[in-house]
Amino acid sequence: MVNIPTSPADLLPFIISIVTSHTFITIIIFPGMIHLTLVSAFLTWYERKLLARIQLRIGPLYAGGPGGILQPIADGVKLIFKEVILPYKADRTLFTWIPLVLIYLGTLPFAVIPFGQHWVIANLDVGLVFIFATTSVFPSMIIIFAWASNSKYPFIGGLRSLFQQVAYEIPMWISALSVVILAGSLNLVDIVNKQAKIWFIVPAFLSFIVFFICIMAELERLPFDLPEAEPELVAGWFTEASGAIFMAIFLALYLKLYMMSALVTDLFLGGWWGPPFLPQPVWTVLKALVVATAIIIPRGIYPRIRVDMLIRIGWTRLLVIALANVFITVVLVNSGLLARWGL
Amino acid sequence: MALNPWLAISIFALVILLFTIPLLSLPYLIVFPRRKENPFRDMPFESGQVPQGDARHRLAMQYYPFVLMFVVFDVVGMFLFAWGISFSQIPLDSSLVVLIFLVLLGAPLAYALRLALRRENW
Repeated sequence: MVNIPTSPADLLPFIISIVTSHTFITIIIFPGMIHLTLVSAFLTWYERKLLARIQLRIGPLYAGGPGGILQPIADGVKLIFKEVILPYKADRTLFTWIPLVLIYLGTLPFAVIPFGQHWVIANLDVGLVFIFATTSVFPSMIIIFAWASNSKYPFIGGLRSLFQQVAYEIPMWISALSVVILAGSLNLVDIVNKQAKIWFIVPAFLSFIVFFICIMAELERLPFDLPEAEPELVAGWFTEASGAIFMAIFLALYLKLYMMSALVTDLFLGGWWGPPFLPQPVWTVLKALVVATAIIIPRGIYPRIRVDMLIRIGWTRLLVIALANVFITVVLVNSGLLARWGL
Repeated sequence: MALNPWLAISIFALVILLFTIPLLSLPYLIVFPRRKENPFRDMPFESGQVPQGDARHRLAMQYYPFVLMFVVFDVVGMFLFAWGISFSQIPLDSSLVVLIFLVLLGAPLAYALRLALRRENW
């Protein structure tokens, strides 16, 4: 525990004890703000570069460093100092404050996502439920933002986003259920610890597939990017956003991408477990970046699917497979096939 | 060493506010004081056309039965999670009740999906 200082001489040790405390380091530096800022900046650059390579272009090149690595900083500075255009019919309060809420919802789940045995901000017993609770507020914030901007393209995009995220939330939860059955816990640190001998992608392969498709839809990535379909809806639900508001939304979306990748890593890909020549957090970040790559790549390859196809895939295929997978997991656990790996 | 998790989450939430509020308030401090009124710039974007009418009118609520199913499976999912954590601790015959419940749920699900997919537009 930290002692409250009583004299000026105690102040320096007090500050040092705070700065070196576990809470401070996890919140500010590693799974916390600095790491998240750096990774989301890296992901914006990485996505452009990757898509450019897929489509035989070169990508950002001129903004300093090898391969234009300083491009995210240039973009950030540009967007902060750009003029914010508020549509004259828009609800100004909601229009300017919802992006903040979106960043909030993109960042808050990192409080319970572990990046190593002790590299977690809050070792919460209901971590998985906390993540699902925070991510399920996203669609309502999106529809409020779309309504607040009072323009037709954002409104249609917001409605589509609502349908899509509602349709794909249920299969996502139910496919995560088989991981919960295997681990017997909702605490993400416990879930990863259970994967020391075998990653859950092996016994729960079907639910990994369902979960992965569902997070592609939740993140509005191609082939499920109907809410921001560029050829039809300009930019979907954030058509009217500009300057700092656009940057906030962009940041929130990339944070959500990284959050979902880290979640897949912790649930199915063994979290920090890997050959011991690298430290635990490095394994988690590397695996999360690989998952993020797998989410980004279809954007350069696949066409977009129709709304009714999207809803049908979600409800008739993914939900049924996820429910059937609960039975498969129950049979697997009870048959003792997994006893060798301590499950 | 480690704090109570909810306290840690609250501190993290405050830190996010400290990081993001400057980000969003900076343009208001720098850009807005020099801003001039321009009705053409502040129009809602409609591909360069003059915007027609209001955007906040009623849109058809398609796929309504799927939303109804969402309400059902939202609650079911919650109960399933409560069962899922305790699955390895309770005997199998208690879990059997939940599995039978899931099978029973499958029949109306199949019927609802069949009805919902039969109509193109609701």
